[in-house]
Amino acid sequence: MRFRNIVREPLLHFLLIGLALFVYYGRVAPSDNHRIVVSQALVDDLARQFQATWSRPPTDQELAGLVDTYIHDEILYREGQALGLGRDDVVIKRRVRQKLEVMSEEEAARTEPSDADLAAYVNAHPDSFRKPATVTFEQILVATKGSGADIARALASTRSALEGGADPGTLGQATLLPSHVEGSALDLVARDFGEQFAGQLESLPVGQWAGPLTSSFGVHLVRVSARRPSLLPSLDSVRALVAREWENAQRKRALEESYRRLRQTYAVVIEAKLPGTPPR
Amino acid sequence: MDGHVSRRMVAGSRFLLLVAGVLVNSSASAQDIPGPPGKAVHYSPYPAKRFPNRVYFGDTHLHTAYSTDAGMVGAILGPEQAYRFARGEEVKSNSGIPVRLQRPLDFLVISDHAENLGLATMIAESNPELLKSAWGRKIHDLVKLGTIEASGQAFNMWAQAMHDRKDPFEGQERAMAEPIWKRITAAAEKYNEPGRFTTIIGFEWTSGPNGNNLHRNVLFRDGKDRADQVLPLSLYDTQDPEDLWKWMAAYEQKTGGKVLAIPHNGNLSNGLMFDDVTLTAQKPIDRDYAERRMRWEPVYETTQMKGDGETHPALSPNDDFANFERWDKGSFGPQAKDKEMLPREYTREAFKRGLAYEAKLGVNPFKFGIIGSTDSHTGLSTATADNFFGKIAALEPSDDPVRFDEVIVGRVASPDGRDNKIFARQTSASGIAAVWARENTREAIWDALARKEVYATTGSRLVVRVFGGFDFTAKDLERSDFAEQGYTRGVPMGGNLERPPSGKAPGFLIRALRDPDGANLDRVQVIKGWLDAAGKTHEQIFDVAWSGNRKPGKDGKVPPVGNTVNVKEASYSNAIGAPYLTTYWKDPSFDPKLRAFYYVRVLEIPTPRWTTYDAKIFGVTLPTDVPASIQNRAYTTPIWYSPV
Repeated sequence: MRFRNIVREPLLHFLLIGLALFVYYGRVAPSDNHRIVVSQALVDDLARQFQATWSRPPTDQELAGLVDTYIHDEILYREGQALGLGRDDVVIKRRVRQKLEVMSEEEAARTEPSDADLAAYVNAHPDSFRKPATVTFEQILVATKGSGADIARALASTRSALEGGADPGTLGQATLLPSHVEGSALDLVARDFGEQFAGQLESLPVGQWAGPLTSSFGVHLVRVSARRPSLLPSLDSVRALVAREWENAQRKRALEESYRRLRQTYAVVIEAKLPGTPPR
Repeated sequence: MDGHVSRRMVAGSRFLLLVAGVLVNSSASAQDIPGPPGKAVHYSPYPAKRFPNRVYFGDTHLHTAYSTDAGMVGAILGPEQAYRFARGEEVKSNSGIPVRLQRPLDFLVISDHAENLGLATMIAESNPELLKSAWGRKIHDLVKLGTIEASGQAFNMWAQAMHDRKDPFEGQERAMAEPIWKRITAAAEKYNEPGRFTTIIGFEWTSGPNGNNLHRNVLFRDGKDRADQVLPLSLYDTQDPEDLWKWMAAYEQKTGGKVLAIPHNGNLSNGLMFDDVTLTAQKPIDRDYAERRMRWEPVYETTQMKGDGETHPALSPNDDFANFERWDKGSFGPQAKDKEMLPREYTREAFKRGLAYEAKLGVNPFKFGIIGSTDSHTGLSTATADNFFGKIAALEPSDDPVRFDEVIVGRVASPDGRDNKIFARQTSASGIAAVWARENTREAIWDALARKEVYATTGSRLVVRVFGGFDFTAKDLERSDFAEQGYTRGVPMGGNLERPPSGKAPGFLIRALRDPDGANLDRVQVIKGWLDAAGKTHEQIFDVAWSGNRKPGKDGKVPPVGNTVNVKEASYSNAIGAPYLTTYWKDPSFDPKLRAFYYVRVLEIPTPRWTTYDAKIFGVTLPTDVPASIQNRAYTTPIWYSPV
């Protein structure tokens, strides 16, 4: 069990990959400028900073991420420095990193995607392009506060009015909440009614008054009249959106690739004891 | 996130900020309920309804790294990341903190400063066009040198150019600005998703004579094809708003497009924002000026991070809620504030003075709609106290004292020695632009701004609807076709009432709903301003709806709602207040011969101010010169009454 946890620890993977690379490139012994030491003091400082921002210590995974970002910044910064850019100001350090990233990105942006590229991208990331499920419903805000008995009475009288054929628009509290919502995605319903209410809509039967549902405003009766399931649109109808996301992914990949290439030429020495690493 | 780096970055940026201060001192810096379900038909039931049926919430004023006063002091997020953040994605802040909005915005205007648009980005990219200019080469090399001193020097170079109002890229302005402007317009087109997230192309024209703020954001109704036919007008071109209007007219004539401008921060204009005289000629404003101003500037941004502009305690001594997020020490120049400047700086007073001008000129020069927005310089539109990422990148959340103590206004002492300092802790976590529209599209949102059917909030997503008319009754308030009745028999916010039937006074149908994730409502007020027969202006505040069983006192004022804020825990409870308030109110003292306006102010119950959240989260000391809790609010555009 413990061994399995260790095996799944990303930091361990990172260290193993690092070790393999170190051995592989061992013949080209990295100069001092290609040696990055992650000391215990540095890691403590990263953890302290995290704690100051989030009022809790970082998880093991987060700490590994902090160390990773530090190494990433440091490598690109040193590469920039080697090109004669920047010295010791952190704003500049960022700028240097940004410049190197822009250079890699420009390379990536020159490629125009083909339909096959875009279709493959949609297939690989269907959730990013799926049109959300929509729901059409009416709602009555029956009560905003009161005792359980008050609310039960209000619900009962509203229900009996509905059964008697009353116009639902005339029942309940007159607020600015829409009494009728036409074909709206659930996340947009949540913007008006809150997450809690939107979450309960999914399980309601179609064609009958149901509830009560609770929102931050009070207690509602709801009649869902139609649902449209989420569907994956045709490429033609979302081409611009797919092209945008594809391009972003290309940029990201270009950055990762150029970093990976540089990373291989560095020796990273983790002196600090990081959680999840086997004792040395 | 790389906290190690961010701490040092804040320290580094501190110096730059100081320089930014020199710059700013020496120059100009920078548902409606759809109709009734009727006869139980609920598929496409209202094809004939043409009126706006819901509110969309957005920000019309956001800066990214492309604004030089943001990009040169640590902002690295560009337009694409700004749009991704606003539409609900998680991004990394400039200091590396993962950040996300609890609820996405419906629309966003990126309004980067026109003055040397994208300079910091071009330096970062070692842009060849930049390096062609000797000045560009020098500032580039200074920044690349990387020392704090050199960065400060670089910023000073730009500050000097701004101060002298001399574009350092004279002769190559187009070659410098065009590629960046096209990137900005391209990003807007890329992220515009009708029905879900609207992007509006815009920029900020940063006029500030002697450091007095006359800034305007310019918003295009059009797409990239038209917006690309011009380059943003800058302070280098002119600092007179009348020239901006000429530029706007020329744009419309050239492209067949449409454009409007939104001024902001009259509170930092030292009396220039709603002045009685024109800026250049210094002659009294006339009918022609009034017409042009209202043609091009239908909306004013009344609340934002740099203070609230509704009114001032000295102007509204009887208003118990006037003293709110006040920035009244001076402007970006060295001159401290004089009391006589205040009437020409605040919204309510401008509305009142506008009535007097209308009587005199026949046209009201200050008959504008009002919105809120952030003016954040981080690429992150954050307007709520519990998720406030500060005014600039160096002031993002941290325990560094800079987040509270940085001086924003008054870095150079006033010549007469008066206190003119305003600190970062006084920055307001605000605001939101709320628009009534039929759909979330660029055209529908721009059109709502143009017809002034808009309101401001100080950060919450309150929904407020008001209709004014002469034959409404209290019964109309409960009608299921409330909105249709409102539009048919009256006018919405931004509208005008005239020709009252004999003996009738204006009545108002008002509904307010709190933010679904926010604080309950304390009260709804109607604020009336009028011009008496002797030409004197007045204002009166009416409490018209409130929560609980409170009884108004002899003075008509409803007692305070109470305060549930636990300062130590930075928490509050909705045990007080009401989730919605609604009322019909008729003006009890209407005189059909007198000009008047009526607007609605909705107050939330007290909630912790952002500084209180900071004290809890970072364990820092609560500042004593700002309140621990505040009452967030919404202000609607007025409904005006004119005798004919």
